[in-house]
Amino acid sequence: MNASLRLSRASLRAHRRRFAGTFLAVFLGVAFLAGTLVMGDTLRASFGTMFGEATAGTDAVVRGADAITAPGQGQGVRQPVQTSLVRTVERVPGVAAAAPDIEGRGQLVGADGRPVGGQGPPTLAGNWITDPRLNPYRLAEGRAPARSGEVVVNRGAAKKAGLRIGDTTTLRTPDPVRVIVVGLATFDGQDGMAQVTFTGMTQADAERYLTARPGQAAAIDVRAAPGVGQSELVRRLNPVLPKGVEVITGQQSARENTDMISGQFLTLFTTFLLVFSGVALLVATFSIHNTFAIVVAQRTRDNALLRALGAARRQVTALALAEALAVALTASLAGLAGGIGIAAGLQALFPAIGFPFPDGELVIKILSMALPFTVGVVVCLASALLPALRAGRTAPLAALRETDVDTSGASRPRAVTGATLGALALAATLGGVLVTPSVWLAGLGALLALAAFVVLGPVAATTVVRLLGRPLDRLRGVTGGLARRNALRSPKRTAATASALMIGVAVVSLFTVFGASLKATMDQTVSRSFAGDVAVSNPSFGAGGSGLSPRLAPALNRLPQVDTAVGLGRGVAEVDGRGRALTVTDPAALARTFDLGTVIGSLRDLGTDGIALTRAEADRQHLRTGDSARLTFTDGTRETFTVRAVYGRSELAGDYVITRAAWAPHRTQDSDTLIAVTFKHGVDADAGKAAVKRVAARYGNPQVQTRGEYAQSSAGGIDMMLTLVYALLALAVLIALLGIANTLTLALHERTRELGLLRAVGQTRTQLRAMVRWESVLVAAFGTVGGLGLGTFLGWVLVKASDGASDTAFAFALPPTRLAVVTLVGLTAGALAGLRPARRAANLDVLRAIATQ
Amino acid sequence: MTTTTALRRAAAGVTDAVKVYGGGDTAVRALDGVTVDFPAGRFTAIMGPSGSGKSTLMHCAAGLDTLTSGTARIGDTDLGALDDRRLTLLRRDRIGFVFQAFNLVPTLTVAENITLPLDLAGRRGDPAWTDALVDVVGLRDRLHHRPSELSGGQQQRVAVARAFAGRPDVVFADEPTGNLDSRSGAEVLGLLGRAVREMDRTVVMVTHDPVAAAHADEVLFLADGRLVDRMAAPTADRVLDRMKAFEVRS
Repeated sequence: MNASLRLSRASLRAHRRRFAGTFLAVFLGVAFLAGTLVMGDTLRASFGTMFGEATAGTDAVVRGADAITAPGQGQGVRQPVQTSLVRTVERVPGVAAAAPDIEGRGQLVGADGRPVGGQGPPTLAGNWITDPRLNPYRLAEGRAPARSGEVVVNRGAAKKAGLRIGDTTTLRTPDPVRVIVVGLATFDGQDGMAQVTFTGMTQADAERYLTARPGQAAAIDVRAAPGVGQSELVRRLNPVLPKGVEVITGQQSARENTDMISGQFLTLFTTFLLVFSGVALLVATFSIHNTFAIVVAQRTRDNALLRALGAARRQVTALALAEALAVALTASLAGLAGGIGIAAGLQALFPAIGFPFPDGELVIKILSMALPFTVGVVVCLASALLPALRAGRTAPLAALRETDVDTSGASRPRAVTGATLGALALAATLGGVLVTPSVWLAGLGALLALAAFVVLGPVAATTVVRLLGRPLDRLRGVTGGLARRNALRSPKRTAATASALMIGVAVVSLFTVFGASLKATMDQTVSRSFAGDVAVSNPSFGAGGSGLSPRLAPALNRLPQVDTAVGLGRGVAEVDGRGRALTVTDPAALARTFDLGTVIGSLRDLGTDGIALTRAEADRQHLRTGDSARLTFTDGTRETFTVRAVYGRSELAGDYVITRAAWAPHRTQDSDTLIAVTFKHGVDADAGKAAVKRVAARYGNPQVQTRGEYAQSSAGGIDMMLTLVYALLALAVLIALLGIANTLTLALHERTRELGLLRAVGQTRTQLRAMVRWESVLVAAFGTVGGLGLGTFLGWVLVKASDGASDTAFAFALPPTRLAVVTLVGLTAGALAGLRPARRAANLDVLRAIATQ
Repeated sequence: MTTTTALRRAAAGVTDAVKVYGGGDTAVRALDGVTVDFPAGRFTAIMGPSGSGKSTLMHCAAGLDTLTSGTARIGDTDLGALDDRRLTLLRRDRIGFVFQAFNLVPTLTVAENITLPLDLAGRRGDPAWTDALVDVVGLRDRLHHRPSELSGGQQQRVAVARAFAGRPDVVFADEPTGNLDSRSGAEVLGLLGRAVREMDRTVVMVTHDPVAAAHADEVLFLADGRLVDRMAAPTADRVLDRMKAFEVRS
């Protein structure tokens, strides 16, 4: 073994403690990354298997050939097929069975009167396919629906709803339907397809409630006779299908479904997690760099001695890097094991919290091991590179010199570089945000701002810590004073330690500020655009929920208190070749309950061939009132519409508006997403709301909210997201804290003799512990304050950039309470990080400490 | 001379002090039954060859280390009866220390270092007294400097001032001139002597330097953990002769 390696091995063994923090930082980052990847692959594979298994009996799927997808919608809307086609299909030789597959949205109401699901995954209803091999669901208990009103519910949904066989409840289709549960179903042996709820009805019920008109189905599932392969079946079916209808194999259909779930849900989910592992690893970089820098500084004498004895620069550098490599390799390997552990743990945990994580082996791909491993090793080595080079540059004479504390940091070049970076950052962001809105320029500015903060850290450390520590002197006397001065000892080190926490806190504050701004934006949107008195809606998220009964708005209109009740339905069509979401409503009433801004033309007489659109869309498509636009609907029909009005604000009304009459011939399952109600003059708001509530109760009991309540609940999803973000960022903050604790331990090690002296001249253990803890709090405070500043700035940039990039006017808001909580958490965390080093320092033996060289 | 010593009140002392390091075959008896009083208002030096137990005696008498058996006292207080906290408070309030090196906290100024024990106790002390001390040690123009800006001799003078700042019962000095040149060393020793004779303080000093020991009122000689001799009104030559006797014997 070569000399450098032997030395670094000996050093690692002797200073295992010093590298514990580095090890943990790399370990946590790699474990999180690997866990995310393994979990993603496993989920993807199990969904694939699940679909494959559940739909194994379906050999071909007949469906509409074209799908229209509006931007932002994951899944396109296909033209329905006629159920009469089933008979044609059944007559094709090689077909054993065929069944229509009617699918729509249907949300169950639980035993407690609350809707089930709707917070993300779809809430589906369909016909219960009687051929058990064509039905992806299996009857687990009870029987299949035989009469109108009878339904089978997937077991997971029934559990959540508190429903048992024989119970009666409401199914919102969105028209409320009284249903009795006669059976419970499973999906490939599980309680359900993840969190998706499914209600199976008789075919007649499904046609009646879930389709625009009877005789339509989303698809026809076909089973082949023995000896006929899937592609053979497709070949035989193709000639009998009418125009606009296609057939694909069962395998292809399963794959499409899997891809859809992967694409819509899993990819988003894993990307989200990967971003946060990235943040955690970035934070780790700072911690690791700091540890190595300190270790190298502390070993100046050893390194100088080596150099004096004839070691080449390269050898000393190699020595330091070899140590880093050893830590990197072991920590990354352990991290991989940890990641697999995390994935396995989640696999076990998910079912316990009602999320059926499909069974099966963990899928561990080479990439999901190689990537985190490489990232871990590279992060660790890159962080150690500069300190290692510095070690190599140690002058042999340094062995003879008294090593003094590194007080550099506030050097002039650093201040100049930092200030330049800061100025550039400011210029780029302001340019990108205010002058010529550009997300790229703003992003560049944000990146430069981060760099400026990191470079300027040591310069700012002295001033900021002195300022932050001022109250300490007064409150804590000599203990506080000592803590403050210790934190000021090496501004570079303090800044580097704090940088890790700063980045964590910055990301937290960024999301906090952005979340608050989004809320304020919604609030502003509602208060500006919504001119109604109450809003009726079914709070839902993602693909869940089933909207409002289309019969509710007319019913409300009949109330004596109500002036106008206008329902906003949604439709989809291709406008001049591009998929667009349509708002289906009564445009004249819309203009009375919503502030649409400046309207050119008239919304009164759109008729069956008129369309209204927003200013922004009109500009983009070069359309003006009087121009014509070609609309293609999901049923395949093409019609020419005339632009009759262009309005200013789209926030709640949507970009395209057509009348119910124009939509009726092409409609799919009918529902409104929102009903805006204005009361007649002189009607008391509470009385009006109560009257609306009474009527709404008969239509699936949606929420009736005043304008303020509606604005607040619209923003409810944001809080949920924020909570998730906070939970994920906890990892980054944890790594930052490990960094603080580690640096502190190393620094205290350097100060052993001083600690001994303090104890000898009468500092009590309690005072010493307090001194160390306060030092830790000060460093944390510095990082927290920096992070708050940076995060708030980046939040502002993000809000302004979003403002420039979208038609919606974004509001910027600072949430004082939340930011105060972030600060408090940062400080508390600092105190916690100081606990262990403080205890270790206080337990030093006084005499031995004084005698330390 | 011995009679006057006996009549004086003891500021500190040990009785039948035994200190054993380690155990079994490798056990070392650093102190082997030492009984000695350090009279108040006197400057006592402890001498002996390396390994004689002189530092151990000082550490145990000062409450930095605990005896294996026997008792150590500061005034009337039995140190063996105190827990770590009380010992710390006792060191803070009733004992002053001057170590060989690294006496000062680098982040504190000279003035802050001097009042450190008082500040730790949350006491204001006696400003007139500390002020007088600053003049005695001659550091008035250096009060706001950091230790790193002082010479070794100046640093030790600050340490002396700190040791006396709280008017302790006794000041223990552990080789206070070990790292200094002879001139700086003489200054520090002169300060310790003045404190005893002009301010009626008590000093116990461990040293291996006969010249330093000559500044004391009395020299105690330790060998192999035992008190073997004492010498009143020492001179450097007499101390050196006595020390040579140890070498001849061993």
